[in-house]
Amino acid sequence: MTTLATRPTAGLRPSDARTWLSRPSGGWRQSAVNKAFLLPAIAVFVFLFVIPLAQTFWWSLTDFTGYSPEAAFVGLANYRVILTDPSMLAGLAFTLLFGVGTTLLITLLAIPLAVQLNKAFRGRNLVRSIWFFPAIPSMAILGLVWRYILSPLDSGALNTVLGTFGLGPVSWLSDPTLARISVIVVGVWAATGWHAVLYTAYLQSIPQDYYEVARIDGATPRQQFFGITLPLLTPAIVISTFLLMTGGLKVFDLPYTLTTGGPGFSTYTITQSIVVSGVGQGRYGLASALAVMFTVAVAALSFGQLWLTRLVEKRFT
Amino acid sequence: MKRRSRPTALAALAAAAALALTACSGDSGDGGDSGGTTTLTFLSWTGEEQMEQVIDAFEEDHPDIDVEASYSPPVAEYIQALQTRVLSGTAPDVFLIAAENKTNLINGEHVLDLSGEDFVENVEPFNLETYGRDGKYYGLSLSSWAAGYLYNKELLAQVGYDAVPETWDEFLEMCAKLQDAGITPFLESVDQMPTTVSAWVGAKNAEMEPSLDDQIFSGESTFAEQWTPELEEYNRIFEEGLMSPDVVGLDGDQVRDEFANGRVAVINGGPWFIGALKEANPDLDFSFSLVPAIDGGEPFAAGAASPGYAINSKADEDKQEAAKTFLRWLATPEAVELFQSLTNDVTVTSDFEPPVDPTFEPMVPSIREGQLYLPMIAWQRAEDVLNVEAVAQIQRMIRGEVEPEQVAEALDTKLAAS
Repeated sequence: MTTLATRPTAGLRPSDARTWLSRPSGGWRQSAVNKAFLLPAIAVFVFLFVIPLAQTFWWSLTDFTGYSPEAAFVGLANYRVILTDPSMLAGLAFTLLFGVGTTLLITLLAIPLAVQLNKAFRGRNLVRSIWFFPAIPSMAILGLVWRYILSPLDSGALNTVLGTFGLGPVSWLSDPTLARISVIVVGVWAATGWHAVLYTAYLQSIPQDYYEVARIDGATPRQQFFGITLPLLTPAIVISTFLLMTGGLKVFDLPYTLTTGGPGFSTYTITQSIVVSGVGQGRYGLASALAVMFTVAVAALSFGQLWLTRLVEKRFT
Repeated sequence: MKRRSRPTALAALAAAAALALTACSGDSGDGGDSGGTTTLTFLSWTGEEQMEQVIDAFEEDHPDIDVEASYSPPVAEYIQALQTRVLSGTAPDVFLIAAENKTNLINGEHVLDLSGEDFVENVEPFNLETYGRDGKYYGLSLSSWAAGYLYNKELLAQVGYDAVPETWDEFLEMCAKLQDAGITPFLESVDQMPTTVSAWVGAKNAEMEPSLDDQIFSGESTFAEQWTPELEEYNRIFEEGLMSPDVVGLDGDQVRDEFANGRVAVINGGPWFIGALKEANPDLDFSFSLVPAIDGGEPFAAGAASPGYAINSKADEDKQEAAKTFLRWLATPEAVELFQSLTNDVTVTSDFEPPVDPTFEPMVPSIREGQLYLPMIAWQRAEDVLNVEAVAQIQRMIRGEVEPEQVAEALDTKLAAS
């Protein structure tokens, strides 16, 4: 910015240059240059988001099969099918449970973990890496590995361990309730470390002076946590919970590889409905209608959550 | 000013989008003939390692045709790749028609009718009819697969059996004996349509005229009427405690591993297990059998015709002729033998007898005679929708959440909504 303001562009007359220099903010030319830098981002946004979204909306009003560009306009018929067919919305309950459950659990676990990882101790970087590791492999790979660990057979890895203590076998993935819990637990295990690292980064930006003053005033570690750490972490909580909620509501790969949505529809997700029932079956119109409804619902939930966390943020900062 | 600039910006963006899309579409679709050689584009379902040898042999026999192959692994990725190319008008001249795309390809008139061509004459009618409609054939399917039961001969011998019995009642009796002897009798993965249910419905279908699915899909009959007895029989094994309901949490590979380690006497499976089982446990003495029969019927196999080679109906006439030459060559005994030796598929042409693994021999007659059934392929519309629903509802039945009749009724509801 400074460089641009102090170096008149070639072709400008001295008077123009003086004018340029006299306005550090750059005037309309500078403003145009600044805006030009936004063009790549706008182009990406338009091509990768606006156009596909508009196209999805259009398809949701047609009987598009994905095999022919000719699609008949069917109005709101696809929306009617979704709202009247229970199995299209079979994934709604678990999607919400997964989104809310993982957001709460990960947040509750990641903040104390980050506080511990932020303390000085021998091997801290190694411990941080170990916690961060589950975030590296894809969820699909983790799902396949955990499928073997949580196998309901006596020979399943976890059941074998339980068997040595005379316990089990437990129907981890074959009982609907346990299957739901298993998927959520694996999701929490996989993402807690990543979010703890996010919180650690924010923790490092909290000035140590606050803690020193608090200690001088006789504040206990608990009081320091609730009086200083937690309020100053609210910006990180906003970001983390927003990412968790949007990611959780869109979850597909983990339940698909761990349980394939079963038993029955117990771990079926909305995204699985869109991918399997729509795209996989050449019913793009229907899948698009489901995607539009889901996008609106996720947006509403996410903005609601953002609004709520912003309120909390304002209250504490 | 701002108002005027908006349409301009939109027009610029639209132009840019059109330019980008044109650039992306790539293949102009016209080229291919040069110097008397016809270039045939082909999207292969079979892996490059195997198919390349087949194509080389074809090109050696037909130097005037150059096959330009691209590869996409089955199933979802292939279906997606082909669909994208069909939609963008850049479909290959030859591609595979499969259970997952046959309805859309036939409805959209993207595939050429092959009935009447000389190269379909020596192919098992079951395979041709699988990818056909109203007497027309749209795919040259040269092989089939079958799934049945795999049994551990050593474990069965411990309770006095040398093979899987031919009836379901006898089979349940054998399972009870195995269980009493402390052996897990049977595990069947139900992450897909159970092999047992497919085979039983298939056996019933083979005895019916018009076929079971013709009756259901024409509205003459219902799933509740046709499927409930078979589902009730299947549910017996869970009600009698002879198979754990935990199978709803298992996939085929987990069941196979249990079998390989000698922890279960009988499992469901197909020829794709043979290599893995022999590798995991070379001493395992096992064999295949058909699924035991119910209601005085005959043992039957679950299975289907492999995807068929189809010709793009939108391709130029000379390309279509070259494609027919390619398909004609693929159906020759020499080509079938080469293909079979590379893929181990059980081929179904009348002039070539495929060698198979001895353990799989009990299944071969069913394959060669087309005595196979897979609901998802036999269903006449909404195949995937019904399959997803059936698998989920059968899992619920196994868990005791719904009755067999409710499973069948759910399929009727799904069919009515599709």
